[in-house]
Amino acid sequence: MTGPTNQYLAELRTALSGMTIAEREEVVEEIRTHIQERATQPGMPIEEVLRRLGPAAELARDYNNGALLRRASRSRSPWFLLRATYHWAWTGIHGLVIFFLALIGYFTGAAFIILAFLKPLFPENIGFWIGPDGAVFGMPASRHGATELLGPWFTQVAILIGIGFLIATTIAVRALLPKLKRSHRLARGTPETAARIA
Amino acid sequence: MAVVMALALGRNYGLGILRLLEENSNLVLSEGTIYPILNRLRQDAIVDSTWVESELGHPRRYYVLTSKGRERAIEMANTWLQLAAGLERLARPVVGRKEDNHDGSH
Repeated sequence: MTGPTNQYLAELRTALSGMTIAEREEVVEEIRTHIQERATQPGMPIEEVLRRLGPAAELARDYNNGALLRRASRSRSPWFLLRATYHWAWTGIHGLVIFFLALIGYFTGAAFIILAFLKPLFPENIGFWIGPDGAVFGMPASRHGATELLGPWFTQVAILIGIGFLIATTIAVRALLPKLKRSHRLARGTPETAARIA
Repeated sequence: MAVVMALALGRNYGLGILRLLEENSNLVLSEGTIYPILNRLRQDAIVDSTWVESELGHPRRYYVLTSKGRERAIEMANTWLQLAAGLERLARPVVGRKEDNHDGSH
């Protein structure tokens, strides 16, 4: 193995994440055999073989994106799903839409739960108010002429709504992830290679 | 889709699939693209892989469609053929009209 090949494979190994050591070594071995076999072709210097493979970091990113998506598909952690969708937001319009859906859903859920915990601290200000300005769930700008409807039940109701948002957002994000998976399967490379291949 | 179709023809390895696509369908893929795709197909149980010693003295990782993969390949091929037939019905009159115009100009 030549210096450039070893350097390329070392960079690839370092950049691969989200997989076991055995999986990582198998990937590196597969790329090594690709380089070896390509380089046996006449008129194919090692530099050209590596150029055709693309930068090691980019190759690793494609593997890592797939691994991240698989982990996200199985995860129920809002924090992990939010981080994963943030990562995918940079890869295309589908990713961006799912990220904003996750952001709004989780933010709203968290806001209801925070309100539930603030209620005992500010019992006179926080509630479900109906007044001249309409209905306000939380802290109204003015309580003048408004009536609070839930009283001590506000905390339980706010927690239930908050958890409902978190669960609904998680279900929605997990249901939308396969679409992201399909949209990600586009070939990268020169314009003539932009064919849907998997 | 092209990778699954290539494997529907028989077991193959990364570089072999690239060569097959280039020779049979003029699809020239970025070489680094194919391996992450094969990895995802393996994770989705569409393909299975085994290492086999090659005549060149190094092992190759061969991929083969699983039963789920074969079903997917048939499904993809049918969808593609329906789409292609529909597009052909749309495209044929366009070519015919162009030829008519060309003949009329002489």
